[in-house]
Amino acid sequence: MGSLHQVLTQINGVLLGKHDQVRLAVTCLVAGGHLLIEDFPGVGKTTLAEALARSFGLAFRRVHFTSDLLPADLSGLRLFDQQLGQFRFEPGPLFSQVLLADEINRASPRCQSALLEAMAAGRVSVDGTSHELPKPFCVIATQNGLDQAGTSPLPESQLDRFAMRLSLGFPPRQAEAALLAGKATALDGLAAVIAAEELVELQQQASRVACEPPLLDYVLDLLAASRQGGLATGTPLSPRAGCGLVAAAQAWALLEERSYVVPADVQAVFAAVAEHRLDGGRPAQEPGGYSRQLLAAVEAIR
Amino acid sequence: MIEPLARRLQILSLSLLALQLLGSDWASPLCWGSLTLVVMASLKLAKAQRPADLRRGLLAQLIALGVLAGLNPNLGPGLVQAATGLVLVAALLAQESGGGGNLRQMLNRSVQLLVVCLPLLVLLFLFIPRLGPPWPQAELGRGRTGLSEQLDPGAIAQLALDPSPALRISPAQEQDLPPADQRYWRVRVLDRFDGQRWRAAPAQGPAQAWAPPAPAPPGAAQQLWLVEPSPLSALPWGGSGVPLNPQITSTAKGELLGPWQTRVRRSYGLAASNQPPAWQRQAPARSDLDFAAGSNPQLEALAEGWRQQLAPAQRLAAAQALFQGQPFRYTLQPPPLGDVAPLDQFLFASRAGFCEHFASAFTGLMRAAAVPARVVVGYQGGSWVPANLWGRGYLEVLQQDAHAWSEVWLADQGWVRIDPTAWVAPARIQAGLRSGLAGQWADLGLLSQGLPWLRPLTRSWTNLDLAWNQLLRYDQFSQDQLMQRWLGPFRSWQGLVLVLGLALALALAVWILGLLRPTPRQEQQRRRLDRSLSRLAPLNLVPQPGESLPAFCRRAAAQLPELAPGLERLQTSYERLRFAPRGQERARALELARSLGAADRELAAAASRLGRRPVERLQSPEPP
Repeated sequence: MGSLHQVLTQINGVLLGKHDQVRLAVTCLVAGGHLLIEDFPGVGKTTLAEALARSFGLAFRRVHFTSDLLPADLSGLRLFDQQLGQFRFEPGPLFSQVLLADEINRASPRCQSALLEAMAAGRVSVDGTSHELPKPFCVIATQNGLDQAGTSPLPESQLDRFAMRLSLGFPPRQAEAALLAGKATALDGLAAVIAAEELVELQQQASRVACEPPLLDYVLDLLAASRQGGLATGTPLSPRAGCGLVAAAQAWALLEERSYVVPADVQAVFAAVAEHRLDGGRPAQEPGGYSRQLLAAVEAIR
Repeated sequence: MIEPLARRLQILSLSLLALQLLGSDWASPLCWGSLTLVVMASLKLAKAQRPADLRRGLLAQLIALGVLAGLNPNLGPGLVQAATGLVLVAALLAQESGGGGNLRQMLNRSVQLLVVCLPLLVLLFLFIPRLGPPWPQAELGRGRTGLSEQLDPGAIAQLALDPSPALRISPAQEQDLPPADQRYWRVRVLDRFDGQRWRAAPAQGPAQAWAPPAPAPPGAAQQLWLVEPSPLSALPWGGSGVPLNPQITSTAKGELLGPWQTRVRRSYGLAASNQPPAWQRQAPARSDLDFAAGSNPQLEALAEGWRQQLAPAQRLAAAQALFQGQPFRYTLQPPPLGDVAPLDQFLFASRAGFCEHFASAFTGLMRAAAVPARVVVGYQGGSWVPANLWGRGYLEVLQQDAHAWSEVWLADQGWVRIDPTAWVAPARIQAGLRSGLAGQWADLGLLSQGLPWLRPLTRSWTNLDLAWNQLLRYDQFSQDQLMQRWLGPFRSWQGLVLVLGLALALALAVWILGLLRPTPRQEQQRRRLDRSLSRLAPLNLVPQPGESLPAFCRRAAAQLPELAPGLERLQTSYERLRFAPRGQERARALELARSLGAADRELAAAASRLGRRPVERLQSPEPP
């Protein structure tokens, strides 16, 4: 656990004044989920993504998504090797431990669907052959706001595959001052705090954090409330969302150095886990509005 | 599917039932009925596949239990029956709760159910009109004590004692009853003799001059009689008094006839009358001298001698001298007398028998000596049951108090009661059947001869058992008395009272069961938390919708820093108790629960401190 705190400290040194978001991002990786970072250009989305990948010592490939990106550009393709005299599979950038997908919502839907199998099952099918992706595998995607030029909304099916969506927002004045003064650590200087194997171990440890029946009741009540018509809750939460919520709460509890999950853990991760599924990619008037309504509708003292 | 616990509990209840069957009276057909039920339930259980099979088996067992409870109403069997019922209900619970509980919980819940039903039971017991048993309680006649239409002493070799009640007499007070040796309750007069048997003459027609007794004088002392079902249509009475019910008439022979069918429980009142009863002066018929000449030659020869030499009263004295002078013996196991000249056989050879032998031999002798005589059957004696919870005292007469005696006609006195049994075994008449047999039937004693140190225990148990039987003695008679006392003129509202009482008792039972609903440990913790949090409500600290416990505690501590230590303790211990896996925290559960209690006390103290100075609180509006 100490190493996780080192990771947090290191990333907070790179991305100044964003402690909550950094903690959630680390939680997402420990929970084994994919992370979507959404905000205006230039607030540090890619910086966070890269800092995460480097600090966890993960092999990462970075792909900048454009409207003319093809699925084969991600998954790789079969080439004819003249020396061997046969076809051979040339793996694409997906075959890494972390795929940094920059500006993911600028790619065509066809290209995004190439990501679906990789994100859900950890494997890629090319020309009828399945190729396993390395472990751990996670996608850290950034996207610009929907009102930006040249973007198309992500399909709900893919949104649902992201365990969390974070938005960074502008840094506070003090943090920005420090940034301008050049006090932020440079990305190049980041060393791995945790090895990839350790991350796998941490992920397993997180999955063993206890969820007692009262806690599961709370989660179930939240899910049920999202599926009730009465509230202005947007799209109902899927069972996958429920699994993601529990996993994220477990990881959060692990970061809190507890061996069991309490409702406060669920509440801490709920907005990040649920909001993008509730609004279906079209943000509410006030940020996090849907999840706040849901949290207020379900009694949290269990 | 069938729960294994339910199956095991049923095996237990079946063995308990089998145990009770072993201790039952196998002479009763009901015992065989419940054996059949138990066997059927066992087979059903062995083959049970579906829950419905199990339920049917349970139902059969419950019926068998009810029948056994009717057969063995004593305290000891009663306790075993209660245990069986407990196990049966627990088995049903185990099945219906779908395996959601262990043996202890099921038995617990079963006890709760049964205890909660006790008021219902008491209400039903007190208010439901008593029904007689739908089966004859004991087969009368045929060698059992009790009454029958005919008397055939020669045919009975052994007489069994039947301790069931025959009738109850409730006088205004105990002094109104005749002394113990005068308690003869006549039922039937047997005046036809064929040399072997005595039977009653067919009903007398109106040709007989017979003036029915005058109606009861107003204000006369009254006796209430309650008679158990019997095969005889005649009613027992003391021989004097006037029936209150005009449908009951007394005959010229001194029998009381009622309008009832035979096998029902009958109750009637008799008003005391100071005039000698009319039947006593009713002259004998010619048939009262008929002794079936030639059937018992020795007897006839002896009586012929008396007839020639003595006056009627002296013939009586001669007979008494005969019974007291010869070695006659009172026994319930007399040697059989045979078909030929049975009275000769008894008088001159065996000289052992019970009341029927003595009465028929004496009456035969008298008739042969030309003194009109007849046999009367009825009851003799009875024991006084003092007034108790259920009503005033009464004299209880048992079937085994059935008796036979004689009446002879003396011209100057009318019909006179003569009991030859009293000449031979006076104790039988003075103190009842058992003392008449003292020594012969030692094992009849209530207390068995156990180990000396056990005797006080045995005695206490016997007392308990007697008290229990006293309680169970609540019958139609007691109910009538009780209802009279409680409801008085509103006696007809008994049903309404019962229904209202039942509704109330049911509501009470449902309410209590709701209170007793088992709560999982986690729910108990939740209740404790709610209680602790409610202590903060007067301080305007109430959790907001969707607020988690840590958030609430932070907010409350920020508002009132005095609460902070208690709140922190509350939060940590509660969350550990509730959300930490049982396995990890089991060792610390007690400590945590204590800590939760301590936090609660701390909060209560702090809250009451704060609540006592509201002004101060208002003066510092800005939160720290």
